[in-house]
Amino acid sequence: MNTVVPAVSVKDLTLAYRDQPVLWDIDMDVPQGVLMAIVGPNGAGKTTLIKAILGLLKPSAGKVEILGTSYRQNRQNVGYVPQRGTVDWDFPTNALDVVLMGRYGHLGWFRRPGPNDRQLALDALDQVGMVDFADRQISQLSGGQQQRIFLARALVQDAQVYFMDEPFVGVDAATEKAIVQVLKNLRERGKTVIVVHHDLQTLTEYFDWAFLLNVKQIALGPIETVITPENLRAAYGGRSALFGNK
Amino acid sequence: MIEYTIAMVMVGSSLVGCISGALGGFAVLRKQSLLGDSISHAALPGIAIAFLITLTKNPVLLMAGAMIAGWISTLLVMAIVKRTIVKEDAALGMILSVFFGFGLVLLTIIQRLPTSNKSGLNHYLFGSAATLLASDIKLMAVLSVITVIGLLLFWKEFKILSFDSDYAISLGYNVNHIELILTFLTVTAIVIGLQTVGVILMSAMIIAPASAARQWTNRLGVMIALSALFGAISGLIGATISSQVDRLPTGPTIVLVMSAFVAISMVFAPAHGLIWKRNRRS
Repeated sequence: MNTVVPAVSVKDLTLAYRDQPVLWDIDMDVPQGVLMAIVGPNGAGKTTLIKAILGLLKPSAGKVEILGTSYRQNRQNVGYVPQRGTVDWDFPTNALDVVLMGRYGHLGWFRRPGPNDRQLALDALDQVGMVDFADRQISQLSGGQQQRIFLARALVQDAQVYFMDEPFVGVDAATEKAIVQVLKNLRERGKTVIVVHHDLQTLTEYFDWAFLLNVKQIALGPIETVITPENLRAAYGGRSALFGNK
Repeated sequence: MIEYTIAMVMVGSSLVGCISGALGGFAVLRKQSLLGDSISHAALPGIAIAFLITLTKNPVLLMAGAMIAGWISTLLVMAIVKRTIVKEDAALGMILSVFFGFGLVLLTIIQRLPTSNKSGLNHYLFGSAATLLASDIKLMAVLSVITVIGLLLFWKEFKILSFDSDYAISLGYNVNHIELILTFLTVTAIVIGLQTVGVILMSAMIIAPASAARQWTNRLGVMIALSALFGAISGLIGATISSQVDRLPTGPTIVLVMSAFVAISMVFAPAHGLIWKRNRRS
């Protein structure tokens, strides 16, 4: 694969709700093989940015390319971990079944998952340390375990570029560690991982790239060039005291 | 001859319960229970208009009228939710009452017509299994087979739509298409039951069996199968009772039987039932 092509390329992206801009003129080229955090204060548009890239929200203007072609043509190469709170965990299904949904994109309409898909799903559960919970009803999993299931579901997609929305929210320390390990493994295998993150303390420890955002883009690049006092002040305004507070 | 009638009633009403139970499972899981209520009430003017145009009680035409009206009402609800600030519950309530009111007006007009075969349309309000003919049952059976095939064919798509539709979009699925297909099957399931159960209580056939089934299992497949089974048994018992008692409308009788299933399930089911939960706490 041509590694010069950016993993994700966003051009002139603007998105507004009822005339109120949520994202304003975003230009973002993310190189392949980085582990990047999208950082910014509440309401900065971090989740909206991911959803606009994935086509879940319609931007007012702008263009998104994944690995040099349109997202529509490259869906098989994109994995997604939504926020845990967006689904009903009382839904009657078990952990393995949820992970199997990650194979649905490869299967397409009508075809059911087969033994090969099951094996891939079990492998993914193993990677997140959840293989013993394959038959567990999803409502009987802890928040951290549910998050690991969502991560396994994205892993089984076998994508090149991953988007994850706040995967560390409401999880226990062990899960956080396990997730970070999975993210680093993905990067080692040349995958690109883009994570909405809001804990500034762990930022430099977990990620090597960052995109600082507050409706408009503040900075993009290797983490040490992005996370500077001036940039944080620009993003968080007077609230830059938040740094190290949380 | 009487036995033949009873056999018709039993076959027809268990078919109705089975299909509405199966499709109702997805409606309940998607928190769209009230959509069934709106569709079934909205079907009434469709039936009346189909009769007014053709002046016959051909079941194919009446069901087609019901289906078209049910569809229009659903599309209107979707359009209102999408394009205005009105929320789904209000949109459903509005469409339901407008269509149902219109249907009642049309029924009144039909009663004053000088045609001879107008009697029987009132059965569509509360349902009447005893008036099912072999031709009705044949049509219901054909539609049921279509619905079940659709359910099996699109099982995986319906599952992911119900659990996590945003994720389905990210995988490349057109969820609008999946939703249209599921709604089409739900409308069909409702239309199948209108003559037997009636427009007013048809929504209970969508909601109740699924609610009872959910108490007993944590697996989607088992839940849908149980829901279909509960629906079929309730339909069978309720319709048989109502056809034996003079002037006892079928819809309310089936719904009462079904409510018993729901009550028993809520109290006695393992893991989710009230008794179980109480014992676990103490």
